[in-house]
Amino acid sequence: MADRDEIQRFTMAERLIHWAVAISFVYLVLSGLALFHPSFYWLAYVLGGGPVIRQWHPIVGVLMFVFLTAMYLKWRRDMKLDDLDRRWLRQVHKYIRHEEGVPEAGRFNAGQKLLFKTMTLMGVLLLLSGIPLWFPMRFSRNLREWSILVHEVAALVAIGGLIAHIYMGTAVVRGSMRAMLTGWVSRAWARAHHPRWAREFERTS
Amino acid sequence: MPTVSLEVKAVSATTTPAPGMKEAPRVAKLIDVSSCIGCKACEVACQEWNDLPPSVDRPFTGSYQTMPDLQWNFWQLIKFREVLHQDGRLEWTMTKYQCMHCADPGCLRACPAPGAIVQYANGIVDFVQENCIGCGYCITGCPFDVPRLNPQTGKVSKCTLCSDRVAAGLEPACIKACPTNCLSFGTKEKLLQIAHRRVEQLKERGFTKAGVYDPPGVGGTHVIYVLPHADRPEDYGLPKDPKVSWTLKLWKGPLKWLGRLIVFGGILAAFVHYLRFGPHRVREEDTGK
Ligand code: SF4
Ligand code: SF4
Repeated sequence: MADRDEIQRFTMAERLIHWAVAISFVYLVLSGLALFHPSFYWLAYVLGGGPVIRQWHPIVGVLMFVFLTAMYLKWRRDMKLDDLDRRWLRQVHKYIRHEEGVPEAGRFNAGQKLLFKTMTLMGVLLLLSGIPLWFPMRFSRNLREWSILVHEVAALVAIGGLIAHIYMGTAVVRGSMRAMLTGWVSRAWARAHHPRWAREFERTS
Repeated sequence: MPTVSLEVKAVSATTTPAPGMKEAPRVAKLIDVSSCIGCKACEVACQEWNDLPPSVDRPFTGSYQTMPDLQWNFWQLIKFREVLHQDGRLEWTMTKYQCMHCADPGCLRACPAPGAIVQYANGIVDFVQENCIGCGYCITGCPFDVPRLNPQTGKVSKCTLCSDRVAAGLEPACIKACPTNCLSFGTKEKLLQIAHRRVEQLKERGFTKAGVYDPPGVGGTHVIYVLPHADRPEDYGLPKDPKVSWTLKLWKGPLKWLGRLIVFGGILAAFVHYLRFGPHRVREEDTGK
């Protein structure tokens, strides 16, 4: 155990899963953007060339879906929205401006929970729409046309979520990155960002 | 870039303008279905000129047709169809089928690989295999279901309208081989004239619905047909009203803008938020210091 001032926020398994999802997702975003618009095509060269990303994007996609499923199973219970969370969402403008009066968050705040749900849903949509694009000859043209639309829209939503998540996790909520790397946070950090969770932890320990 | 010395008018997945300095007469191939005898000389000439290995990988199915469908190494096909007319007559149609060289090619619009598909100033749409990444989006974008993927190489191919021959001032190989003058090649203007004259002839002979197939939904094509029953192109295996699909337009139009807005706008918004509000501070009394 670390000293008394520290609380364990993420277990080794949670961190592994998170980073497996993260790394595969970043690869998918970069290789996907290369094919999304010519102004991003240089990413294809960085990642080994067009034919290489065409081959690997779907494979990594399936991998990510597996990791995402593991993540979902791991966190699904912690990510349920409760009444306080719904109040949190109504006060989200205060949260964004760092003002007082935001309902206290549990282990995850409502923003994180929403992100989690959105990413899971997008993951399912991306997998389903990705399969016809992987094997174009096996599916009808109509289905492929719809798949492209669904794939792009879902990817854009997920990319929006990713940008917000990286920004919050690195720049805004200092200490999150350390939590996701080492697993530990200070009690003060826990009380400041996740007071309900901190209290619960103090009660049980 | 393409190995053929033709002026390029449009290039797939490229944001800078294509060279487009020189104008070139728009070429076209005319297929007069009413004078096709189904001899398949054009098929053979195509295989020969383009040096395509014939693949006899599936059993013949009791049809006059050489292959059930186009393949990556089989770029044009005479489709044989039996059509039952309303008055009980049975008609046997033979229709040459290949890339239409659309003026607004869905394949080129859909392709994400810079330079994998080019359109020359003379109207020929050509695939440049060395730039192709094998994603198959062109197959989805093409309203005529023409491009075919070679699973071994991961490259697509289709009729080039013999762009190599045309660049050297020759007519395409299929035209050269046709024994009945069913096929002709020249500028599109001139061939449209010939086509309309032929349609008049057919009408005089009682084909009241004869007409020219040059579908406007794809901006017209550089392969045009004279059809004895132009009101029913399906009888010849041609789509009735081919269009660049709205999904493709949406996906290559507004969605591209939305995407860049989300990526660049998102990063910018995060940056501005940081400048304005900075990080979440942990209050002093919380740190216990
Ligand atoms: S017929 Fe298909 S492959 Fe040929 S130019 Fe038109 S869209 Fe492209
Ligand atoms: S398969 Fe090749 S030519 Fe067709 S859209 Fe993909 S990169 Fe372009």
